[in-house]
Amino acid sequence: MSMISMRNVSKWYGPQFQVLKDCSVEVEKGEVIVVCGPSGSGKSTLIKTVNALETIQNGEIVVDGVTVNASKTNLPKLRARVGMVFQHFELFPHLSIIQNLCLGQEKVLGRGHDEAVAKAEALLKRVGLSAHAQKFPGQLSGGQQQRVAIARALVMDPVCMLFDEPTSALDPEMITEVLDVMVELAREGMTMMVVTHEMGFARKVAHRVVFMDQGEIVEDALKEDFFGTPRSERARNFLSKILSH
Amino acid sequence: MFSDFDFGVILRSLPYLFKEGMTFTLTLTAVATVGGVILGTLIAMIRLSSLPVLPKIAAGYVNVMRALPLVLVIFLFYFLMPYIGQWALRADQPIQVGALSSTIITFTLFEAAYFSEIMRAGIQSIPRGQVAAGYAIGLTYRQVMSYVVLPQAFRNMLPVIFTQTIVLFQDTSLVYVLSITDFLGAASKIAQRDGRLAEMYLFAAAVYFLISFTASMLVKRLQRRLAVAR
Repeated sequence: MSMISMRNVSKWYGPQFQVLKDCSVEVEKGEVIVVCGPSGSGKSTLIKTVNALETIQNGEIVVDGVTVNASKTNLPKLRARVGMVFQHFELFPHLSIIQNLCLGQEKVLGRGHDEAVAKAEALLKRVGLSAHAQKFPGQLSGGQQQRVAIARALVMDPVCMLFDEPTSALDPEMITEVLDVMVELAREGMTMMVVTHEMGFARKVAHRVVFMDQGEIVEDALKEDFFGTPRSERARNFLSKILSH
Repeated sequence: MFSDFDFGVILRSLPYLFKEGMTFTLTLTAVATVGGVILGTLIAMIRLSSLPVLPKIAAGYVNVMRALPLVLVIFLFYFLMPYIGQWALRADQPIQVGALSSTIITFTLFEAAYFSEIMRAGIQSIPRGQVAAGYAIGLTYRQVMSYVVLPQAFRNMLPVIFTQTIVLFQDTSLVYVLSITDFLGAASKIAQRDGRLAEMYLFAAAVYFLISFTASMLVKRLQRRLAVAR
């Protein structure tokens, strides 16, 4: 059974504008999927439907056996098991780094404070930011904030991770430190769905690449096939633009 | 021009002015601020919610309160509250509401309208990504509000809340219409008893100015500190 299963997902903004057109993707346990495509192609919307930050009007999404778009689904419980990393980090600026990492553990998982702190410290160490536990998000660089955001998702022991353009708001010199953490995570066998333009990352760790354009999944191919011989004209076009420099 | 003035009257009445008058003024300011912020936050959350009907009622309440002069509201509540109480508690007679409880309730309800507008702006100033991040780690709506949105909204709005409190501190003097002894009321009573109107009102003005001005200076400093912290 797939970890994430999206079948014929459609979404409209208003009656006219269809952002997602009949999208189907399967992500197996331990698989890393990179979703790419031109801006406005619906890739961010697609990934946000997985933990129901965006609702859908048609189709079905199942995450680890739980139907996301069923009305009886306990969404907070589901979301706690799906880690998410945002483009703009979205750390809570009024809380220290350690408090950022403890909030979900204590309020959602009901862990005790000491247990939560221990777990938070372990993950901060893993992303190389132990020294910053008591600081506030505003005192860290973008790259550091994004690593904290990854740690904040990981403290919840998620079954899979969603990344929504995790490096596109970062200065070039900070992209590597974030990608390094993600590569390590991928190699440890985490199930990941990553919206990104970092084709280097895709080549290195992705199993499959999903290419979207105008709300449609144009191509869903093994990494080797996608970079070797993309079948569609649109994907070839996109690749030539993004890889030309 | 001050040759006929007797400033001794001020000295003699200090204990009365402050122990009776200022204590009441500060208590009313504090209670109405705390109550107004809590109630105002609730109203703001209702207005921003997608509940049926309730947001419209909340908006109506705020608009009515903001469109009426405070003195009028003080009067209206004082005269109407016994009947509202009677209706609410299904009692046989109008409920006795003293001038004191009446003013406290009035000021809280009145200020809630203003604080709700402040908190509404504060809540709306929090980026939607923050809310999404709260949901993403599994928080419920209530938890996102209490741990993510409201603390930030409150912190961002703190200088405005304090500024509104300073205005409220001055407005509490309107309780004179119900013959309650606040600071100005106390000064006014002494002034009329001893025929020392100019002295007492000048002194009262000096005290209001000193407190309000110092408070606004402190708010400005707070504002600068918050700007740095953000």
